Amino acid sequence: MLSFIGRSVIQKVVTLFFVSVISFLVIHLAPGEPSQVDPLNPKFTPEMVERFRKEFHLDAPLHVQYYLFYSDLFTGKTVSWKDNRSVLGKIWERFLNSLPLFIVGTLLTWTLSFPVGIRSAIFRGGIYDRSATFFSYLLISIPGFFFAYILIIFVVTRFHVPVIGMETFGLSVSSWVHVAMDRVWHLLIPSVLGATGGIAVLSRYVRSQMLEVEGQDYIRTARAKGLPPEQVHYRHALRNALLPFVTMFGLILPGLIGGSVIIESIFSWPGIGRMAYEAILARDYPVILTINFISAVLVLAGTFVSDILYLIVDPRIRL
Amino acid sequence: MTVRRVLIFLPAVLILFLLQSYFWVPTYEQQTRGNPRRLHEYITASIGDASILNPVLSADSASSQIEGLVFEGLIDRDEELRFRGRLAKSWEIYEEAYFYVNEDALVPGLGKADAAQVVELIKGAKKTKGPWSRALEASLDLIRDISIIPPKEFRVLKKVRTLGGKGREGQVEIHVRAPPRIRLTLGKVDQDLFRNLSCLLGDRYFSSFRAWKYLSAPPDLDGERLKALGREILPATTHNPVVVFHLRPHVKFHDGHIFDAGDVKFTFDAIMDPKNLSPRVADYEPVKAVEVVDPLTVRIVYKRLYSPALGTWAMGILPEHLLNREALEAEARRLGKDPKNFSIRQSAFNRHPVGCGPFVFRRWKSDQFIRLDRFEDYWEGPANYERYVFRIIPDLLTQEMEFYAGTIDSYAVQPHQVKRLSKDRRFQSFSGTSFGYTYIGYNMRRKPFDDPRVRRALGMAIDVDKIITYVLHGQGERITGPFVKQTDYYNHDIKPLPYDPEGALKLLEEAGWRRNREGWLEKDGKRLQFTLITNSGNDLRKAVLAIAQDAWKQIGIDVRTDLLEWSVFIQERVDKGDFDAVILGWAMGIEPDLYQIWHSSQTHPHQLNFVGFKNREADELIVKIRQEYDHEKQVQYCHRLHEIISREQPYTFLYVSKWTAVLDKRIVIREVDEKGNIHYRKITPTKTGDYTFYFNRWIKLPEAPAFMAEG
Repeated sequence: MLSFIGRSVIQKVVTLFFVSVISFLVIHLAPGEPSQVDPLNPKFTPEMVERFRKEFHLDAPLHVQYYLFYSDLFTGKTVSWKDNRSVLGKIWERFLNSLPLFIVGTLLTWTLSFPVGIRSAIFRGGIYDRSATFFSYLLISIPGFFFAYILIIFVVTRFHVPVIGMETFGLSVSSWVHVAMDRVWHLLIPSVLGATGGIAVLSRYVRSQMLEVEGQDYIRTARAKGLPPEQVHYRHALRNALLPFVTMFGLILPGLIGGSVIIESIFSWPGIGRMAYEAILARDYPVILTINFISAVLVLAGTFVSDILYLIVDPRIRL
Repeated sequence: MTVRRVLIFLPAVLILFLLQSYFWVPTYEQQTRGNPRRLHEYITASIGDASILNPVLSADSASSQIEGLVFEGLIDRDEELRFRGRLAKSWEIYEEAYFYVNEDALVPGLGKADAAQVVELIKGAKKTKGPWSRALEASLDLIRDISIIPPKEFRVLKKVRTLGGKGREGQVEIHVRAPPRIRLTLGKVDQDLFRNLSCLLGDRYFSSFRAWKYLSAPPDLDGERLKALGREILPATTHNPVVVFHLRPHVKFHDGHIFDAGDVKFTFDAIMDPKNLSPRVADYEPVKAVEVVDPLTVRIVYKRLYSPALGTWAMGILPEHLLNREALEAEARRLGKDPKNFSIRQSAFNRHPVGCGPFVFRRWKSDQFIRLDRFEDYWEGPANYERYVFRIIPDLLTQEMEFYAGTIDSYAVQPHQVKRLSKDRRFQSFSGTSFGYTYIGYNMRRKPFDDPRVRRALGMAIDVDKIITYVLHGQGERITGPFVKQTDYYNHDIKPLPYDPEGALKLLEEAGWRRNREGWLEKDGKRLQFTLITNSGNDLRKAVLAIAQDAWKQIGIDVRTDLLEWSVFIQERVDKGDFDAVILGWAMGIEPDLYQIWHSSQTHPHQLNFVGFKNREADELIVKIRQEYDHEKQVQYCHRLHEIISREQPYTFLYVSKWTAVLDKRIVIREVDEKGNIHYRKITPTKTGDYTFYFNRWIKLPEAPAFMAEG
């Protein structure tokens, strides 16, 4: 066990190093300049462009830039080129905004997918199963932004309440319950939108897992010995069908920092996805690279966590 | 079965909990109508957040929109685009001109003359009516004062490539014995002064001044270098325009500190400080010195004639007491940072600005909103609105929804919505032409674009009116030249190219291009063939690309097209001059300075005259416009330049787009006259279409008012 952890950590550190090199190269070799350097602005003389490049160390060789960037990152000194604020501070602020969206979205996905998927599996081929399949594919194929617009227009014109932003703009009530509930309301639509795709995919997955397990010999045995169907489904089948989902749990981790560009932009949600997207447009390298690096760390940590979880829940696996 | 119950119960509870929150949320109705405070707030939306709230450092439009309210410049432009005083009460512009006495030149009627004789000659000419031209007379009339600066000796250190150093750069000390110099103080800036004076002092009096004679440099410096150094150290003639600003007394910054001339000088120094990396350096580079004469007078001396200079003082003035050396050092120490590397760029001021504009900065939540409150001590009296809120809503459809719901007061209408929204009775709408144009630029270094007939023919083959009608939904106007259409500089006598494919073919035939059997245009056995490129991601340009390709194909030109990612497009193609024809756009300022885009010296790689336009007369005019301080003369030169550019057709000028904004109809201008009576009037746009010009006097009424005389 310990040796597995040790090996795994070393492997991941090596992977992380390569990820950092490649993401650094991809960003620096892609054409384009930071938005502060605007070659098409008549007010920008070549000397000024040169001075900006020097300030951002863009004139240094790539390996020097690489060293400068990552040494700044690990000492927490990286600042965004856009507004000179600390990158880690900015990411933390946005992370806190995106977190509720992520939590509610994940909760919705995971709590809804299971009942839907299990029922489809139990009544395979029935009306319920077919309509669930239909709706899943509908939700998977409908573009998120389109669905978002439909929902916004529907809610705003029908119920006359605001849905944009993290809270009602200019809310002037004093009680904390109102404030909290207002925030919950604003979470509702974006997180439902964020969850739809997940529910559609995950419930399909639950269904196929259940079907696979239901076909096993021990299920037939359980039925044969006269157990009530409920107990067969929920105790014998479900437990074993759950195994693969444990590994998926580790993989949600990277979603923490990813955020959703489209949903956050449409709902004016000041989240991390939107910040990353704007940073890419403005070629704000420190922000892009830091987010890149953190998500790489989270992906690796996620796979590590799911390995460990698998080890714990499945006694057949020994490392 | 518990598992089953839990599985159903859990999502049900979660969804119910989320849904019940609906009952706690205020409706739009409660927010807008049920809330009397809402009438005192102006809320606007933007798709992007501001980046840095410091006029010296920012370059994006969202930041400058906020800075325009928080900071105040010395001057700005009024409804008619004339300058008007803000922090400066008044100003005057005059000139100090210098020339070295040319001891070798033969002055008509005097022979070799010394300084005193030259001064006497000019003074005498000024008094008596001589046989000189009107121009010289006008120049002489402007002279207020003449004085002699005695000869002086000094040393300068110059970096030069010496012969002995084998082409390496080395510091050379040069000993200069400058001859006497004559200073002329003029009542007005006169760019023709020396040209006119040479009628009096001899044609070659200024040009034959041998400056290198007065330099003693190490002997290994070759003759040409020495001459160049001489011209640099002792220029024969110098124009030093001077602007004196008289500042408004008792103006306060938001923190109560009194504004004075020191703040103006500080702002200038902050821009020029290389540590701050200000993107505005180019505007202020021609400034020689900013002198504080007394707390309410600033004197700005320029190194050379540069007429766009006055407009640069519309920039917001920074408070010196919050950003000077001591303040920054204290801040750096508080944050535990190295005071040596701590510049204005790092200061927290940029997220919490203090200026002397009509609104005080209150709060900025990144990517959510920026809130400003009115400044009660504003020198022009407080604004009517108590609060200004700048919301960041990146999606246009959600912006529109918020506007209908009344939680935003203005909305920038999309071209396809203009017809519908400008007639909506709930709103008042404003529209105007924007300050930028779209064009097709031809690489004039390449054949066949070196022939003006071909360029003209290409322009005539495109039906621009159709582009405006169908691509822009009618929200555009034709343009014929490089000036802002609403300004005097634009020459309205020039007619746009007609849509005339037949005429285009005739012109091409004159240039030697004939249709071959397959219908393609051909010259010396070669087909007329080129590639038209533009950047991807701009749907308008993409549409123009397809239309132009089709139009040209119809008259037998084999056009290929290509869409490139913006930075590849700029870096690999435009900057390197590696293209046949491009579709691009320029955003323009009001100042008619076209040097970077049209002067022949700017045609090298990475410069903005990438089409390679070279025209001697245009060059002269561009320089003259830059140096002319008289509006009428400037307009005259601009009209001529516009004519030349339109004749040469280096670009096919396509269109300027029109913008439309809608505003809640309940917003009006409220004014109080001397007797204390309140008057309401409709919001009217200025000459350039700026409807927010009177923003400080806007207010929202509970009901939409009916004005007697509409229009």
